[in-house]
Amino acid sequence: MERETLALGPMRIRNRQAIRLFAWLDDRLGVKEIVDDEVFEKIAPAYLGLWSCFGGISFFLFISQVVTGALLMVYYQPTIAEAHASVAAIMNEVPFGWLIRGIHAWGSNLMLIAIMIHMAKIFYAGIYKAPRELNWVVGVSLFLFTLGLSFTGYLLPWTQLAYWATVVGTETPAATPLVGEYLRFLMRGGEEIGQVTLTRFFAIHVMALPVITGLTVGLHLLQIRRQGISGPL
Amino acid sequence: MSEETWDAPGHESRRGFLNAALGFFTLTVTLGVLYPVGMFLWPRGQKAVTGGATAMKLPLAEVPIGEAKFFRFLNKPAVVIRPNEQEAVALSAVCTHLGCIVKWSEGKEEFDCPCHGGRFDIRGAVLGGPPPKPLTAFTARVEDEYLVIEEA
Repeated sequence: MERETLALGPMRIRNRQAIRLFAWLDDRLGVKEIVDDEVFEKIAPAYLGLWSCFGGISFFLFISQVVTGALLMVYYQPTIAEAHASVAAIMNEVPFGWLIRGIHAWGSNLMLIAIMIHMAKIFYAGIYKAPRELNWVVGVSLFLFTLGLSFTGYLLPWTQLAYWATVVGTETPAATPLVGEYLRFLMRGGEEIGQVTLTRFFAIHVMALPVITGLTVGLHLLQIRRQGISGPL
Repeated sequence: MSEETWDAPGHESRRGFLNAALGFFTLTVTLGVLYPVGMFLWPRGQKAVTGGATAMKLPLAEVPIGEAKFFRFLNKPAVVIRPNEQEAVALSAVCTHLGCIVKWSEGKEEFDCPCHGGRFDIRGAVLGGPPPKPLTAFTARVEDEYLVIEEA
């Protein structure tokens, strides 16, 4: 007698418990349709190569940043008295703290590099052209959010480097005509960089920008699914 | 191509090997991620300190009759109260319901728990509310000008 088999893409599942569990989920949520259409449907054409991978690499690095960032937040103290000591403790005392923070710090650089390669590919291959102009706009906003995450995250260890980089980074927009001074005041949360600045940079870095970026990534991917992958050069 | 080729008998051992290799790789990577993350998250502080001195002295002058004196004993909040000249009652101040700290209600002459309304009398017996058992009692005796409190 032939054993019952469940076919999902290239997979052949013969475990009866697994088949029953899947059938149970399918009855309630229509999982089979999702798996067939979203997981195993080949949407990437064969002509795609290495340079087409950097959007996905950026996405992977974003997820990695969210996970390692959440882990770092377990030990980080966002006060000017404790910030540097807590980061030093993460590096020197917490088991594998050096690893988690290393992945987060290096990941932020790699994420920007991946995004810039991704943008270069999209730009030089002309993929931003109709009907994909809107997704280019969404993508550029993702790039700006990532720069915002880098800028706000840079202050958090509260080192000399972090402090003076933020002095310069908040002084630069002050050169904007008319609104510059107000812009600097808004970014610093006052005239000087201090606890208020650290608190608002922390809030932006761990909550506001990650949420906005995550939702925008969803919009970015949704547009790709609606429009399909661009044809070859 | 396709199904027949894939399911041909000759491919079974190769597929088994590849599946085992994939499984081993997945397991290694999963453990390689879970171990550092688990070590990272595991609290580094010492376990809650229990014990400490099992006996202590309080100057009698600090414990007027009818007034509750709160202090720490065995690293937990405790309270001592003297109902009259002869007697001294030492109790754990930790409510036996869910661990809040009871307070002494002057007018009502009872220990009340602020969390869920547990009530204990001056000797720690349950008067009402959810606590399942009386407050843990310590022995307290007067020695010279001191009150000596010991684990019962």
